[in-house]
Amino acid sequence: MRLPENPLGSLEHIVLLAVMRLGSGAYGMTVRREIENIARRDISIGAVYATLVRLESKGFIKSHSGEPTPERGGRAKRYFRMTIQGEGVLRNTHEVIQKMSAGLKGLQAT
Amino acid sequence: MRDRILHLAIWFVSRLVPTAEREALMGDLTEEYALRASASSSSAALRWCLRQALASAPPLLWTLVTRSAWISTAGVALLAYVAVGVVELAVNHVFVLSSARPDAVYNPLGMAVTFPLVVLIGYCAAALRRRAPIVLGAMMLCAVTLMTFSSTEAVPAWYRAAYFIVGPAAALMGSVWHSRRRRV
Repeated sequence: MRLPENPLGSLEHIVLLAVMRLGSGAYGMTVRREIENIARRDISIGAVYATLVRLESKGFIKSHSGEPTPERGGRAKRYFRMTIQGEGVLRNTHEVIQKMSAGLKGLQAT
Repeated sequence: MRDRILHLAIWFVSRLVPTAEREALMGDLTEEYALRASASSSSAALRWCLRQALASAPPLLWTLVTRSAWISTAGVALLAYVAVGVVELAVNHVFVLSSARPDAVYNPLGMAVTFPLVVLIGYCAAALRRRAPIVLGAMMLCAVTLMTFSSTEAVPAWYRAAYFIVGPAAALMGSVWHSRRRRV
């Protein structure tokens, strides 16, 4: 096990996890909501998009356009899904975190 | 009026993202506004939308700057230019103080001291953006040309001529030094 060459930043990590949790329903606003609901973190849609764009440029996620819908003013959604590289970097980051925090007191989830 | 403010907020945020993501971001905000308006009130939904627009600007602007290679190159070159100015001022100040003569700034020794420092600044600029020293050199060349034609100060010709060559050459040498170290 070693640190990935292109390590994830804290927000990148959270956004990537949100994309993974949402599966085929991951698009900007659902990612933002997921982070707000699960991580209790107030995050702007701009910060989510900036992170998604960065993750896509690193090859960790891929995007495709959906169908335009009337409730969105006729605009299409942009869906995101994790790539194999994304899964790899996430797995590696988690391994590092688990090993580094193993045996440390006071880090148990409340 | 409310609709206008909403459209303005959404339009403002959408201008900060690349064209490929623009449609999706506008749609996301419209969708969330409609959801919040039906769940609570349209004024609360509008307030949320305005907060989103304001909070979204810094990260999107930062992404815009870092993704546009030429903007970051120009930014690094500008910072390096300011650093060169500070170095020149400091060196000139030391020479004027030590000799108590105002024309002591026109001193070959001062130029000899400044030169390696500008090379170092060029090196640091190249480490941040590869082409920044080239822009820095061009900026220095333009500045010296402008000063030559606009300044009424009696600057010795040798000093001006030397600065035409020394400043840009030092910046480019910093770039060459950086690329050689990378190859090693």
